[in-house]
Amino acid sequence: MDKKNYFYSIFVRWWFAAKMAMHGILANPLRSALTILGVTIGVTSVVSLMGIGEGARQAVVAQFESLGANVITIKAHHVSAEFDAEYTKELVERVDGLEMATPVIQTKALMRWRRTRGHAEIVGVNNEFPQVRDHGLLAGRFFTSLHVKQRSKVAVLGYNIGIELSGGRNVVGQTLALNGETYRIVGILSQKGAGNAEDIDDKIVIPYTSAQKIAEKRTVEEIWGKAAGKREADLAVVQLSRIIKKDLRMGQSAPTGKGGGPSEKETVMRVSNGEMWVGSKPQSEEESEPPLPEVGEDIVTITNLNQLVKEADNANRVMTLLLGGIAAVSLLVGGLGIMNIMMVAVNERTEEIGVRRALGAKQSDLLLQFILEALYVSIIGSIVGIVTGIWGLKLFENIGFQTAISLKAIRIASVVALTSGLLFGVYPAVSASSVPPVEALRRQ
Amino acid sequence: MAVIKLQDIARSYKVGQVQVMALKKIDLNIEKGEFVSIMGPSGSGKSTLLNVIGCLDRPTAGTYELSGKRVEKLRDGVLADIRNQFIGFVFQRFHLLPRLNALENVQLPLIYRGLVGKERRNRAKKALEMVGLSDRIHHTPSQLSGGQQQRVAIARAISMEPAVILADEPTGSLDSGSSKNIMGVFNQLNREYGITIIQVTHDEEMTAYGDRVIRILDGEIEKIDVVNAS
Repeated sequence: MDKKNYFYSIFVRWWFAAKMAMHGILANPLRSALTILGVTIGVTSVVSLMGIGEGARQAVVAQFESLGANVITIKAHHVSAEFDAEYTKELVERVDGLEMATPVIQTKALMRWRRTRGHAEIVGVNNEFPQVRDHGLLAGRFFTSLHVKQRSKVAVLGYNIGIELSGGRNVVGQTLALNGETYRIVGILSQKGAGNAEDIDDKIVIPYTSAQKIAEKRTVEEIWGKAAGKREADLAVVQLSRIIKKDLRMGQSAPTGKGGGPSEKETVMRVSNGEMWVGSKPQSEEESEPPLPEVGEDIVTITNLNQLVKEADNANRVMTLLLGGIAAVSLLVGGLGIMNIMMVAVNERTEEIGVRRALGAKQSDLLLQFILEALYVSIIGSIVGIVTGIWGLKLFENIGFQTAISLKAIRIASVVALTSGLLFGVYPAVSASSVPPVEALRRQ
Repeated sequence: MAVIKLQDIARSYKVGQVQVMALKKIDLNIEKGEFVSIMGPSGSGKSTLLNVIGCLDRPTAGTYELSGKRVEKLRDGVLADIRNQFIGFVFQRFHLLPRLNALENVQLPLIYRGLVGKERRNRAKKALEMVGLSDRIHHTPSQLSGGQQQRVAIARAISMEPAVILADEPTGSLDSGSSKNIMGVFNQLNREYGITIIQVTHDEEMTAYGDRVIRILDGEIEKIDVVNAS
């Protein structure tokens, strides 16, 4: 027998085992269908539950991502810790990864537009704001650094306000009044979507210098910065915390700069779940300090929005996996069903096994046949389960869930189904192949 | 030349604490082209002997030469090949695979042999022709009578051109008409093609077809009768 024929004959042998396995399933259609149903239910629940979890995760992540990538916010919670606007430029120069930053003043003003009046929420920023928070413009343009420097009375409208005021017509170039002073509308921001944290769609953006006047203060409460990348953002948070601590003259708790470095970094890592506090009132050593908030209360928080996104993402991922895990239990039950039915099948077919052994079948032939039979059940079950799972997701979508067909879920479900089919098929198959032929023939 | 040479064959089982000697000390030679019947009451060890000869069971002692090859100590996988190549089994209850038709059933041992394509089909067809069933090759077992099923089983056994056919009460579940027919087939295969046949039976009538009758009692050969050629 030449080599080609040899492989062909092995192939024929396998093909025959595959065929016999199929016969085994067809011999008892109802029983096989019920076993397949067990696997199908398992796979369906994994696919649909994980799809729902994944949908929720993607929704949250999308919301957070609308805040802008690699954004770091610095917020003072006490008047004594508020920043000078020029401090923003200083921070950009001193912190390596920080590409740009804008002081932020949030305040309110009385707005008059034609004949309507109302309160408007004002955000005062510098000209780098669109890049920092990844804002696009729907119409017009953003104000320039010159506008900022000259305290120009220019305004960029948030999407909702812009749409509301314009009523379909172009409002760029027209004016509105804030606290009685006339502002020229230079642009409208594009939509950020509902539910994102800053609600910029409902606000009016003006140069921070002008906003300072409205708010009647010289300092700013917040600074928003943008780092060059994810890594830089992490590093920038560490540097910022050190610089700000020092500048607030609260870094004394660390004995030396060098020695304190690593441990400080550690604290940063530990609390870098987004928010971390930079010092609180030191144990009343310096009586001369201006009145500070209660011990333990944060006076400055530095937040890496990447971390928030990651946090939310992780929380939801855990949730998704949990759902998947619960569903996987039913998959396991399906696998046990396979094992049960295979045991029965092996028992029923001992006679056949004996005959086949007498005619020259090896143990491996029978092993292959019975494992294939179990695999068929799990393969068919997985395919049907994936289809019904996706169909189930569509149903959930119709009743208002946000879902996502998760490839991961499909992969997990089919891998678990196949391995359980294999795993639970092996024992019956081994027991089938290891019945001595005499024994198998005697049981008649 | 002896196809089967059994020397001092013994086979014992352990049933609980008791050692049961199913075969005590069997010496037996079966020549090529012989038609031998093994007879004995139930529990005499004749089935055990047939299993040993058929390489389904290994003796606990003694030597066994099949076509000049020592087989008593071979591994299970090798024994499967030996069974496939040298031995054709015919069972009392036919044991055809119910979902396959006659032709496919006959091809079963040929698949394990590794034969492919036309050669396999032709050999199976030829075997079915030899038992006179060429017009029934696409029937499934349920569409065939008992006698026809047994003839398919015989075709399956001879398709490999084995050194010996082992028949375990081949007429045990057939009526007398079909039994005669089957024995006729055996006789023809033996006479025309020179195939060695060993059958186990407890029907005295059926021994008339053979050359020798080996009578077994309590795991030993009681006596060997030579059947007068009629």
